[in-house]
Amino acid sequence: MPDTPHTHPYRSLRLGVAGPVGTGKSSLIATLCRALAAEIEIGVITNDIYTDEDARFLRSAGVLDPARIRAVETGACPHTAIRDDVTANLAAVEEMEEEFSPLDLVLVESGGDNLTATFSPALVDAQIFVLDVAGGGDVARKGGPGIARADLLVVNKTDLAPYVGVDVAQMVADAESAREGAPVLALSRSDAASVAALRSWLLGLLAAHRDGAHEPQDPGPMAPHFHAEDDEHDHSHGESHDHAHDYEHPHDHEHPHEPVPAGSGA
Amino acid sequence: MPPTAVPSVSLAMLLADSRLPVGAHVVSGALEAALLDGLPREQVGAYMRARMATIVQVEAGTAVVARQAAAAGRAARGTGAPGEDGPDADAPGADAPGSDGLGAAALAEVARAWEARTPARPQREIGIALGDGLARLARTVWPEAFPARAGRGPHLPRPVVLGAIAAHAGLTAVDLVRLVAYDDAQTVASALLKLEPGDPLAAAGLVLEACAALEPSVPELSRLTSPTAIPAAGAPQIEEWATAQSVLPRRLFRA
Repeated sequence: MPDTPHTHPYRSLRLGVAGPVGTGKSSLIATLCRALAAEIEIGVITNDIYTDEDARFLRSAGVLDPARIRAVETGACPHTAIRDDVTANLAAVEEMEEEFSPLDLVLVESGGDNLTATFSPALVDAQIFVLDVAGGGDVARKGGPGIARADLLVVNKTDLAPYVGVDVAQMVADAESAREGAPVLALSRSDAASVAALRSWLLGLLAAHRDGAHEPQDPGPMAPHFHAEDDEHDHSHGESHDHAHDYEHPHDHEHPHEPVPAGSGA
Repeated sequence: MPPTAVPSVSLAMLLADSRLPVGAHVVSGALEAALLDGLPREQVGAYMRARMATIVQVEAGTAVVARQAAAAGRAARGTGAPGEDGPDADAPGADAPGSDGLGAAALAEVARAWEARTPARPQREIGIALGDGLARLARTVWPEAFPARAGRGPHLPRPVVLGAIAAHAGLTAVDLVRLVAYDDAQTVASALLKLEPGDPLAAAGLVLEACAALEPSVPELSRLTSPTAIPAAGAPQIEEWATAQSVLPRRLFRA
């Protein structure tokens, strides 16, 4: 672990937000700020691949003092900046904490990357992984370290589900199955109940962090139930594709596939 | 982790490894701006050699003098010459950047000499950012010499931190010069592969050619002891590209 001298009795909760491009990470952060900025002190670090677009978006959203939103450049390696070499992000987090001390929460937004990118516990205390219904209902089933073991999995943009032909309840059920019961939240920024569930999840985590009850977990670089490669393998050999293979994990069969309300498990 | 004395070459390999987590992967040596400004791909080798004649002289000279200053700080405290007594023999924090030891004041003077020879502000800013990253590594790997501090300052540039590490961990002056040169060349070559499609194997050849170009300067650079003797090799075109890089929209690299 890098040195994190505890010069203050309390260090902010550092929360990472990861997930593929376009799933709504910036929007989720704006939603969190809107829901919480009046009661807790927040700072935001964004990681774009080669712009500060996300920082600009958040500043223009007007949900936080623009000085509390910083962009970190990742040299075209967004996954490196949150996992293998967190130097620039850690420096930005520490600077933010020092400048606006005491902060309750620092959100670190990963540059959109693929399903295998997760935060190192050297950088964040907890992480949210964000998928969206428009990315396809089957993504949650494919798994990956973020999907399987992030502290919270968000299935975002549920309001779009009817337009993209995705069964949200099924997608959430698949995700819960891949996560073996860890929390999954179906979110839409226009659905107040889901935003309230997100807010209460975060406040619960913050309380656990303050009590010293929260232990940062490393989702790890690979998930145990990762089927996407098997999938590609079958295709690359031009054999008849056996779809049953995708479903061979027992959890997929065991799960009741009942509709799950927003915020279940959170 | 317990520090163990390792030979100079092992330290050089560790510090030159692009996988070392010190935040350097966002740097292209201003190559991105240079290519956008019309530097042809086939002249990137010449660009790397031009850096050896200018930027690298300043960086390597600074590192060597910083190594000397840190070593003098150790000697004044009776902790011996660099690399001779093993890292464990050091008094905690005696020569650490940021401590009140003799080494700290001397290192600050070396840093000022580097600033005076690094006229483009973006070059100084990235030098400090990389120095901070390296100092973070040093505080973890060699805590006996680089103690944790309240706050984050002072911010020393990369070559100064590198020199302090060299003094403490036992990297020789010639290896230090060659490390600075290799790192500069590899930074540009690696960035080239992301900016312009090309043969990665050919880029490795460019690195060796650039390192060879610095060889004639190695003996003189490695013998420097005084901040005033650090080369002051101006490179206006590189400084201009570094400045242009710092305001490039939609850039891949920070510097």
